[in-house]
Amino acid sequence: MSTSMSVVALDGGDLPLGGGLLALLRPALSLLRPGGQLALISSAPSVAQDLPAWCRVEHHAYLGAEAMADGRTTHRIERGSLGVPRAGDAAPPERADPSTGFAPRGAAVEPGGPVYPFTLVERDHVIPPETGSLYEQAITSQWVAARDVPWATVKPLPDALERALGQTMTFLAENELSALYVPSNFLPRIHPAYAEVAMFLATQLNDEARHIEVFLRRARAGGGGLGVSSVTTSQSLLSLLELTDFTEAAFLLSVLGEGTFLDLLKYVERFAPDEATRVLAERARVDETRHVHFGLAHVRHALGHDPALYGRLEAAVRKRAATMASAAGVPAPLADALTILAAGGADPRGVRKGHEAFRELMETMHQNRMKRLEHAGFSPEQAKTLSDLHTPNFM
Amino acid sequence: MILVGAVAYDPKAVTIWEGIRDHFSAQGIAMDFVLFSNYERQVESLLEGKIDVAWNTPLAHARIRRRTKNESVSLGMRDSDRDFRAKIVARRGAGIPTIQSLPGHTLAVGSRDSTQARILPLQFLRKEGVDLSKVKILPFDTDVGKHGDTGTSELEVLRALHEGRADAGAVGDLIWVNEQAAGHVDSSKVEVLWATPPFDHCMFDAMPSTPKEKRDLFQKGLFSMKWENPRDRRVLELEGLKMWMAPREEGYASLHEALDHDEK
Repeated sequence: MSTSMSVVALDGGDLPLGGGLLALLRPALSLLRPGGQLALISSAPSVAQDLPAWCRVEHHAYLGAEAMADGRTTHRIERGSLGVPRAGDAAPPERADPSTGFAPRGAAVEPGGPVYPFTLVERDHVIPPETGSLYEQAITSQWVAARDVPWATVKPLPDALERALGQTMTFLAENELSALYVPSNFLPRIHPAYAEVAMFLATQLNDEARHIEVFLRRARAGGGGLGVSSVTTSQSLLSLLELTDFTEAAFLLSVLGEGTFLDLLKYVERFAPDEATRVLAERARVDETRHVHFGLAHVRHALGHDPALYGRLEAAVRKRAATMASAAGVPAPLADALTILAAGGADPRGVRKGHEAFRELMETMHQNRMKRLEHAGFSPEQAKTLSDLHTPNFM
Repeated sequence: MILVGAVAYDPKAVTIWEGIRDHFSAQGIAMDFVLFSNYERQVESLLEGKIDVAWNTPLAHARIRRRTKNESVSLGMRDSDRDFRAKIVARRGAGIPTIQSLPGHTLAVGSRDSTQARILPLQFLRKEGVDLSKVKILPFDTDVGKHGDTGTSELEVLRALHEGRADAGAVGDLIWVNEQAAGHVDSSKVEVLWATPPFDHCMFDAMPSTPKEKRDLFQKGLFSMKWENPRDRRVLELEGLKMWMAPREEGYASLHEALDHDEK
C-alpha cells in the first residue's frame, strides 16, 4: 500500500454514502498520508449531509463543499492520522511484533490490534535461511504409505525374526510419535512473520504421521504384532516432550535424536528381511534427513548469532542425561531385536555376527553424531562430550 | 477512591467499565464504578454525593446543570460527543422534498428521553417553523430511562421508514452513518432530508463538592487512554470513541432551550 500521495481526486457519481460510495471513498483515502487531501465530486445531494458526519466519526477533516458549473459538488476531505496501517515487512523482521497477529508478512497492519501469545519472535532463533528451500523439498518429496511401499513382498518369517521385526517397528513408531508431538508444542508459539518455519514443521509432522503408519503396518503385516514399550524409551521421550525452549528441542530432537535415527534406519534397510521393510526404512530415512538438515540449520544459525547458546545446549544435554542416569543402556528388547534382525534369525552362529553388527551400529551412531555436532558449530571436544552424554534410547 | 456512576444500558457496560478501571489501576489511580439501571437514579445519586462522578447523557447533564444552577463541574466527553447532529430522513416517494412539507405526514421519532432521536430534532424543526401540531408523530418509546443510549428506538424509526409505516423519521447521525456503513440502509428507499445544527452529547459530571484532587485524578486517568494501545482500544471501541476530549458547555444550549420549552 502506498501512503505517499498528497492529493487524490475521486468521482463518486450519484452514489449515496450508504449506497456504495464508501467502497470508493475509503480505498481512495487509504492512498493518502495523514494530512493529504481528497476531492470528491458527487451529484448526490445526500452526500453533503452524510459526508461531514462520516468524517467526524472516522476522524477525517471535512474541509467543505464547492458547487461546480455543471451542478455537481466538489467535497474536500483531509485524511486524519488515526488508525493508519503500518506498512508490513517484506523480509522476516529481526524481531516480530506480537500485535500483528496472524497478518501475513507484507500486509499493512492497523495499529491497536490485540497482543497474541507468540513467544518465538526473534528471527535468528527461529528462521534459518535454508527454511524456504527445505520446505520446497519437503512438499515435492511426499509419498503415500499404501502406494509407495511394496507390501506384497512381505512373506512369513521364522518366529524369532518376526518378533524381532515387530519389536523394532514398535520402537520406531513409539519414537516417531514423540517426533510428532514435540514440534507441535512449538508450532503455535512461532510468530507468523516466520510462517515458513511453521509450514516446514507441518510437513515434518505429516512425515512423522506417515512413518507411524508404515511402522505399525509392517509390525502387523507378518502376523507377529507389536512388541514392548520400555521404561527407558518412555523416560527419554518424556524428557523431550517437557522441553520448553524451541532451539533446545530442535537440537535434542532433530540434531541428536533424528540424526541418530538415520543410522538406525540405515541398519534396518541393510538387514531388512523383505523389500517392503527395506523401502519403508529408506523412505523414512530420506524424510528424516530433511528434518535433521532443518534442525542443523536452525541450531547453526542460532549459534552464529548467540555464542552463549553453546553453554545452554550443553546444559540441556547434561540435564537430560541426569534424568536418564538410571537407564543402563539401549532398552534390552530393542538391543535383542536389532541383534536378531542382523542375524537373520536365532541361529547362534548368525547371532554372533548380529551382535557384531549391533556393536558397530553403536559406534557408527557415535561417530556420525560427533560429525553432525561439529557441523553445527561445536568443537571436536565439545562434540565428543555431548555425543557420549546422548540418551541410550537413540532419540 | 474515585467512585464513578454509569448506566448499564447494555451488558457491555460491565466490560467497558472494568476495562477503564484496569486502565486507571495501571496508572496508579484508585477508581471503582457503580452501575445504575436508569439516568434518573444516577442523577439523584450524584446530587446526593453518593458517587463522585457520573457518566451522563446530554439530558442527564442538562438536568445536573439546572439542578446545581450551573455549579456542577464538567470533566470530559468523547470525541464523538462533539458536534453531534440529528438527521431527518424520508422515505423516497413519500412526497416530502423539504422539512416544510412534513405537515400532513407521519414522522417516526425515538424514545421521549432520547436527545438525538426526539427532543432535539423536534426542537430544531419547531425553530425552522415546522408546525408540529399538523405532523402525525409515531413514537417508539423503547428503553425509557436509558435516554436513547441503546439505540433501539432509532433502529425502530429506520425500520418503520423501510417498511412504509412512516414517511419520515428522526435519528442521530451516529446510528445513521453506522447503519449505512454496515449496509443496513436501503438508499433506494430512504434518503436524508435535513440535518439539524450541531449539538453535544454525553459528559462526565462532578459536583462542586467533589474534591478537586479527585476530579483532577479522574481527568488524568481518562485522558491517558490511547487508541494506539491495544487494551485501551478495545474499551474505546466498545464505548464508541477514539479519544477523550476536554469538556465544553456551548454544545448544550439547544437542549436547554428545548427543556425550557417543555417546562412552559
